[in-house]
Amino acid sequence: MKTVYLAIKYLAILLWSSFVLFPFLWAVTTSFKTANGVTGGATWIPWLQYEPSLQGWQSLFGGSGGTDITGPYFNSIIVTGSASLISIVLGTLAAYGLSRFTFKAGFIRNADITFFFISQRIMPPIVLAIPFFLLLRQLGLLDTLAGLILVYIALLLPIAVWVMVDFFNNVPRQLDEMAWLDGCTPMTTFYRVILPNSVPGLIVAGMFCLIFGWNDFFFAFTLTFTDTQLLPVAIVALNSSVTPWWSLSASALISVAPLILLAFVVERFLSRGGLAGAVR
Amino acid sequence: MADIHLESLAHSYDPAATSPEYALKPLDMTWRNGETYALLGPSGCGKSTMLNIISGLIQPSHGRVLFDGDDVTGRGTAARNIAQVFQVPVIYRSMTVRQNLAFPLVCRRRQRAEIDRRVGDVAELLGLQRVLNRPAVALTADQKQLVSLGRALVRDDVSALLLDEPLTVIDPQLKFELRRKLKEVNQAFNITMVLVTHDQNEALTFARSIIVMNHGEIVQQGDPQTLFDNPRTEHVGYFIGSPAMNFLPAAQSADALGVLDGQLQVPMTSAMRGSDDLKIAFRPEHVNLGGEGHRVDARVKRIWFEGLDQVLELDSGGTRFRARLDDWRGTVGDAIELRVMDSHLRVFRDGELLEAR
Repeated sequence: MKTVYLAIKYLAILLWSSFVLFPFLWAVTTSFKTANGVTGGATWIPWLQYEPSLQGWQSLFGGSGGTDITGPYFNSIIVTGSASLISIVLGTLAAYGLSRFTFKAGFIRNADITFFFISQRIMPPIVLAIPFFLLLRQLGLLDTLAGLILVYIALLLPIAVWVMVDFFNNVPRQLDEMAWLDGCTPMTTFYRVILPNSVPGLIVAGMFCLIFGWNDFFFAFTLTFTDTQLLPVAIVALNSSVTPWWSLSASALISVAPLILLAFVVERFLSRGGLAGAVR
Repeated sequence: MADIHLESLAHSYDPAATSPEYALKPLDMTWRNGETYALLGPSGCGKSTMLNIISGLIQPSHGRVLFDGDDVTGRGTAARNIAQVFQVPVIYRSMTVRQNLAFPLVCRRRQRAEIDRRVGDVAELLGLQRVLNRPAVALTADQKQLVSLGRALVRDDVSALLLDEPLTVIDPQLKFELRRKLKEVNQAFNITMVLVTHDQNEALTFARSIIVMNHGEIVQQGDPQTLFDNPRTEHVGYFIGSPAMNFLPAAQSADALGVLDGQLQVPMTSAMRGSDDLKIAFRPEHVNLGGEGHRVDARVKRIWFEGLDQVLELDSGGTRFRARLDDWRGTVGDAIELRVMDSHLRVFRDGELLEAR
């Protein structure tokens, strides 16, 4: 009975993983094909079924029929990384304030301020495209990394605040009170007691920020021209009248690689027990 | 270290309401430096509210808090230098036991050597030496509570140590030991200690002065003996002593007050007249098998065995009361002849003790 159950379990996991891994397999094989390999129906085994070629990968780094994506790649890392970092720092501070202190402005209370942050993500992003464009032009920041970082902070901050407010609301207030009793100021309470206990929350918020920032195409596309390109825009630019499936597959793999790496690291950390109970 | 004075202090969690409900009704009181107090009362009677006001976690809606005559009502918790231990252990999860214990001193920017010495002392006092370098999360619940307590004791300059039912999670054997250690600390450092509890044994053994609270009010304050002998209200009589004091509704005649078919009688005084809620009360401990006192015949209904003593529930003419006896052996259903000591009979009018008797 137990073995049957185990067999079913493994079968289910196997089915699911193949379902998840199949697109990757497709992308990997396609990235080593040429035009001939792609048109001949689905083929999987190199040398036997198709002649492998490095053309798709070469075109990503300045090879014929492609562009060099190294520049956009580093731009993406810089923009996503710094925007996420700033958002997490500001968002965490804001979230702690919203979670622990009472704010009043007319009829506005803490819950309204929190909703205001969340409402930024409810709005369809296209609404912001023209305002952002005009704002950046006024500031002379169109087509620059700094401008993109600013816009991305505006996009990522609500996520950070949202995740962290919820997280701090679940950190017992007694922890703060104990810190005050032990002689901490509100600021030292925050960074000596609350922050070290909030690493799982920070990681979740950081993950969200990095994923949203890394995958954004819309603002990267509308707010830049030629000087500053982010990875998603560069990848789309690879496309031409004859779709280069091989280089598109290669670029898809390259662009998803950092997030997969991140997922592995975070999974390791979280399973090490970063989420155990706080009080008692 | 300071005398703590509460001046016309009251607290309502909703002061804006037209008729605010007080968690703590207006009171004036002083906590003397170096004294041990126990705050006793049922849940929700305002004990914790009072402590949180003293430590500054709650801003009182009325009145002032003075430390040695110095108004601290507006000051934050950190500035008041109060140590407090809660019912549930609070530990800093990201730190080791050693770091937890050192934290209050680190916050005060003490010298490294002094911190090490004090942490060592407190760890020894609480028996935590062997776990000092372990992460605090890995401890059991009662060890965590010891760490909470240790963080309070590691500071030798506190204005007061407020203990909000800290021993609930600790096993009985250790509880006794801890109470003894707390008293040692109290004597060694002359630290004012306030213990909130609803365990009267804990209160009676720990504190020199006991404060009984009910419905946000202080009902009675005094040393354990006074509270035991002369509880000011029926509530205190029920709350202090185990089993509780016997309160028997009294029948009135022209010149006397009687219970148990007139077997216990108290002469009528002017203070007793004009009320139909009169009770004669006595402690189960003041009932004997022989000697002086009013004779009462009763039948044994239940027996609780308590080591040397036995607590009996007795029935006399349909009225039930309890007695604590140390020299009686028998079974349920036995007839028994008792003496109730006259000097320990108390009369309560409308729930309050009549003093002059």
